[in-house]
Amino acid sequence: MAVFRWGHSWSDAFSDLEREVDSILQSVNQTFQGLRFGRQHPPINLYDLDDHYLITAEIAGVATEDLDLAIANGVLTIRGGRQLDEGADENRYRRQERPHGSWQRSISLPERVSEDGLKADLTNGILQIVLPKAQDEAPRQIPVTGG
Amino acid sequence: MTNELSRPNPDQQAGNTEQRSGREASTPPDERYVFTPPIDIHETDDGLILRADLPGVSLETLELQVQNNRLTLFGRVPQVAPEGARLVHQEYHEGDYLRSFILSDNVDHDRISAKLTNGVLEVFLPHTPKSQPRKIQVSGS
Repeated sequence: MAVFRWGHSWSDAFSDLEREVDSILQSVNQTFQGLRFGRQHPPINLYDLDDHYLITAEIAGVATEDLDLAIANGVLTIRGGRQLDEGADENRYRRQERPHGSWQRSISLPERVSEDGLKADLTNGILQIVLPKAQDEAPRQIPVTGG
Repeated sequence: MTNELSRPNPDQQAGNTEQRSGREASTPPDERYVFTPPIDIHETDDGLILRADLPGVSLETLELQVQNNRLTLFGRVPQVAPEGARLVHQEYHEGDYLRSFILSDNVDHDRISAKLTNGVLEVFLPHTPKSQPRKIQVSGS
């Protein structure tokens, strides 16, 4: 039913056609352009399966209740975080290598993703988001009138 | 002070072991990646708590063992995407986790406990109970 769009204006409609094939790749890259330093957190992988896309992210230590997924205007936003353990005195850390704090990532979704079937699962610190591809519409003839 | 408590294995720290360190692993694609997971260690009144990030590791694929004062954790990560999935964009590699630590003598090996929650391993390394002073009888001739 609902289909994500990248562009909303007429001028975008044509460039959308060109981008269609690689759109999901481009949209991910777009998200990254703003960040120049270091690796993004959390790292994500994106897979293309025949009828859906699969996004996976490594987010160890984040509980389901501390994870927030939202979709607005074709952008999927993943928000989460984890804190240092409550009650643990900072001075009593012998070693601290694990990142903590809150993070947020936004991913522009391609066209032709069906919002209805979107599913997310968090197991053993791996987030999996399934984005079903929308069914192809039948070609539609456009009548041409002439004078 | 640090001598009497557990420290990460210095060999491993220096990168002398076979395993690759961190995300910069450069294993050829047909081999498995082995990562050194990030850890926190903090002290409590009763001992030490060690936490390691092991996303993708489950109870079934985690091995934790103590042998000769060495605590070793090894976690296998099964492939997430089904066969035939085409990787379109990649920011991390799937791989297994391996790290070992030398335990100090005041860790009570028999009472080490561990739990795995949301891909984080938490190991409790309790101090050995302090022994009570004991009078030793001295006999004279």
